[in-house]
Amino acid sequence: MKNPLNKRILREIKDDFGKYAVIFLLMLFTISFISGFLVADGSMIKAYNDSFEKYNVENGHFATENEIKKLQKRNIEENEIVINKQYYVEQHLENEGIIRIYKNRKSVNRVCLMEGKFPEGKNEIAIDRMFADNRNLKVGQTIQTDEETWKITGLVALPDYSCLFADNNDTMFDAVNFGVAVVSDEAFQTFDKDHMTFVYAWKYNKEPENEIREKEVSEDLMDALNSEVTLTEFVPRFQNQAIIFTGDDMGGDRAGVIVIFYIIIVIMAFVFGITSTNTIEKEANVIGTLRASGYTRKELILHYMYTPLLVTLISAILGNILGYTVMKHVCAAMYYGSYSLTTYVTVWNGEAFLLTTVMPIVLMMLINFLILYKKMRLSPLKFIRRDLSENKRKKAMNLNPAMKFFARFRLRVIFQNSWNYVVMVIGIFFANVMLFFGLMMPSVLDNYQDRITESMICKYQYMLNMPVSKMDDTYKLKTMFHALTFEREVETENEDAEKFSAYTLKTTDESAMLEDVLIYGIEKNSKYINLKLGDDDFYISSAYAQKFGIKKGDQVTLKEKYDKDTYTYTVTGIYDYDDAICAFMTRPELNREFNLGEGMFGGYFSNSEITDVDSKYIGTVIDKTALTKVSRQLTVSMGGIMKLISGFAVIIYIILIYLLSKLIIEKNAHAISMAKILGYKKLEIARLYVIPTSLVVVLAVVCSVPIVDELVKIIWMAMLKSMLPGYLPYLVSVDVYVKVIALGIMGYALVALLELVKIGKVPMDMALKNVE
Amino acid sequence: MFLEMKDIKKHFGEGESYVEVLKGIDLSVEKGEFCVLLGPSGSGKSTLLNIIGGIDRADGGSITISGEKTEDMNDKKLTEYRRKHLGYIFQMYNLIPNLTVRENIEVGAYLSDNPLDVDELLNTLGLAGHERKLPNQLSGGQQQRCAIGRAIVKNPDILLCDEPTGALDYKTSKEILKLIETVNEKYKNTIIMVTHNDAIKNMADRVVKLRDGQIRSNEKIQHKLKAEELEW
Repeated sequence: MKNPLNKRILREIKDDFGKYAVIFLLMLFTISFISGFLVADGSMIKAYNDSFEKYNVENGHFATENEIKKLQKRNIEENEIVINKQYYVEQHLENEGIIRIYKNRKSVNRVCLMEGKFPEGKNEIAIDRMFADNRNLKVGQTIQTDEETWKITGLVALPDYSCLFADNNDTMFDAVNFGVAVVSDEAFQTFDKDHMTFVYAWKYNKEPENEIREKEVSEDLMDALNSEVTLTEFVPRFQNQAIIFTGDDMGGDRAGVIVIFYIIIVIMAFVFGITSTNTIEKEANVIGTLRASGYTRKELILHYMYTPLLVTLISAILGNILGYTVMKHVCAAMYYGSYSLTTYVTVWNGEAFLLTTVMPIVLMMLINFLILYKKMRLSPLKFIRRDLSENKRKKAMNLNPAMKFFARFRLRVIFQNSWNYVVMVIGIFFANVMLFFGLMMPSVLDNYQDRITESMICKYQYMLNMPVSKMDDTYKLKTMFHALTFEREVETENEDAEKFSAYTLKTTDESAMLEDVLIYGIEKNSKYINLKLGDDDFYISSAYAQKFGIKKGDQVTLKEKYDKDTYTYTVTGIYDYDDAICAFMTRPELNREFNLGEGMFGGYFSNSEITDVDSKYIGTVIDKTALTKVSRQLTVSMGGIMKLISGFAVIIYIILIYLLSKLIIEKNAHAISMAKILGYKKLEIARLYVIPTSLVVVLAVVCSVPIVDELVKIIWMAMLKSMLPGYLPYLVSVDVYVKVIALGIMGYALVALLELVKIGKVPMDMALKNVE
Repeated sequence: MFLEMKDIKKHFGEGESYVEVLKGIDLSVEKGEFCVLLGPSGSGKSTLLNIIGGIDRADGGSITISGEKTEDMNDKKLTEYRRKHLGYIFQMYNLIPNLTVRENIEVGAYLSDNPLDVDELLNTLGLAGHERKLPNQLSGGQQQRCAIGRAIVKNPDILLCDEPTGALDYKTSKEILKLIETVNEKYKNTIIMVTHNDAIKNMADRVVKLRDGQIRSNEKIQHKLKAEELEW
């Protein structure tokens, strides 16, 4: 015979449909989102990894000053590679931004068509899908460059631009102001070769067996190329940020998302646990009778576990179905919002199934079992007598009689429902962490962008670029000659300009993302950097110090970007500069340290634009636009998800407070009914039962804010260290704190209204009737 | 003897609030006997019933039912003992609010390997036609009938009744007593009933009067009345 108690489960859900529906929806949404996220994540990573073979992605590329001749091509290809033309022209768009136009590729770096069709006519163009999204461009529309008007026939993804880095030296990609596109052969032929960049992609005849070997092979290749052509760029694939950044970055937020998921499931498990505890208290005499009749603890524990498990199971199954069908697209869109990825095919993700189906059920089972087991340890007689206190204390807590009756009553409500309130406070804390995080990020980005003009070293920092072809390890004399020519050609008449030398090393702290540290060699009496440096001084920027937790007197070890050589410095001071991860030495000392040559310099600080240096010698201009690249890109790619997190946090917050305050009212329904009979007015009863919850909520919201602030700061710093290049100081505007508190209180006000309605609905005869 | 109690003692509280509720009870009940425990409030009758029912433990003494000693049993064994031998009826009906009459009775049937036929029992209980109703759709008397059904459906050796008519009016109380009488006659269960209603003693086979935790009298009734003949 099946246990007849099980017939209650569906009726129980039907009788308290509101409560279970809310829990179900919250779990459904959470599970479907996480499932969708993990499925999209797994599918995207697979698509990304497969794209190398599918679209025949280059092993590297180089650019030359002039087009390569047939003989040169033959000589180059003798280095066990095949080269393929990837010429491009860049055109300025009418409303800011640059579009890099390629001829449609047939062999290497084949283009993935995402929407529409490839261009065929002379004025047709297929543009990068993400660039189009960011600029709100659609197939069929036209774009205007400074030279032509193009009709967009398709949206594409170029596998060698999964991340839209315009320059491999950039700290961050900029998918708003930089895009790539392909045109037909016919259209490409119309471009003036004088404006063309001659890029050649190479593929190895036999792929190097590992990364170390690949590095060696590419270094040999660079030497060989240098002797054959004049190189202006040389980027092996393993160094090409436009290709590898996506792969390195994807999946980085996975751990965080899974942690949030488990926190929500654990909170929901506790909500269920408290719900079951309340049901047990309500049904104490029934349980006592059943136990007296011979029902075992195990049978009753299992019975009370069925409902939460059933709700979790259905949420998990439907959540996974939704995850694979609907939410997958939402999450994939988040990736497509950050990266210009090719199309993907959904792949079955066993791990996602385990994490979103098995684990929530196991967690729910475990937490509920422990709560119910503890509760069910009481003897049948205690249940029959409704004496469910587990401790020996029989007397009520002493409260000062001088305290007003209402205040004492409220305190007793709080003590009586202490577990409800504990879970409520924990829930509010986690919801606030999410809410704060969602609101904090735009604030940090805005503050960074607002402050940057004041904190910049100068308005324009010109990083000069000696062409690759002029550097030759084999022929030192030749290089020296080139250096002299270079120095002469990059001199400026601009009086604002101040020379500096610079050298880039890489961090070695394995616990963080490895990143570039630009070491400035500055003038002893620099008018731009307020430092009086001695020969042994090594100052680091405050950004560097804060991001890596470095103090004055600490030692830092840095390494060559493409070599194993390391350098260790003792930090002699910290310079207040939050915009970049950099360090400062005197110019002669830097030139000596890195063997750059006496008097050598690598750039200019200037508050006015330098116009008399040939643009081919200017590698990068660090101005406000360049410095805000990271924050702008984060705003574009993370803005959506931050709103989602904030919204989700508010929903969780409201649901949690609603569920727990509902339980408190239900638990006290009998007393409320009696209070009504005694003549208490509805508002007086509300003051007794709603104000305690209000006090707890308001206190929890307000008190959690500083703790949440500290916690989010730690999370932010950890994120910066592990995921983001550069430094974005944790500066949160006051309005974020106000918003968190206001949203908390407003959310609760909504719940309090529902509580009032619920109190109003408690019938007076409840206290007079038999419990059945 | 089917049920035998020897020197049962029980106290509650410590120090100043120490109360000795049972002061060495010796009692024997035969199989199929209808035994009424009478006494004023605080006499210890409900405590004795709970100890017999294995939901409370005595401080000392022993209880033997069909040769099994309950004081040697751990919690698990006691549950097994209650499951196998006992049916409980309380003053409050303690029905499960979202199960129908039939399902509430099935809750009891589930505990037995050889339960009574539920349809036949519904007829005996006078609940035929009400089996699909929920407890809140029934009168107090009907709810108590249902609780009796839940207790006896597993055909227990002993039916323990703690003030089963305490919350009912005169007429309904008599109906319930009639039903208990019928059950006793039909299924031959041993019935131990706690009551403060003096009139009920007249329908019992044995009447045990308690006061201050001691048995004041233990009387075998020779000429018992039918439940319907009772007056109070």
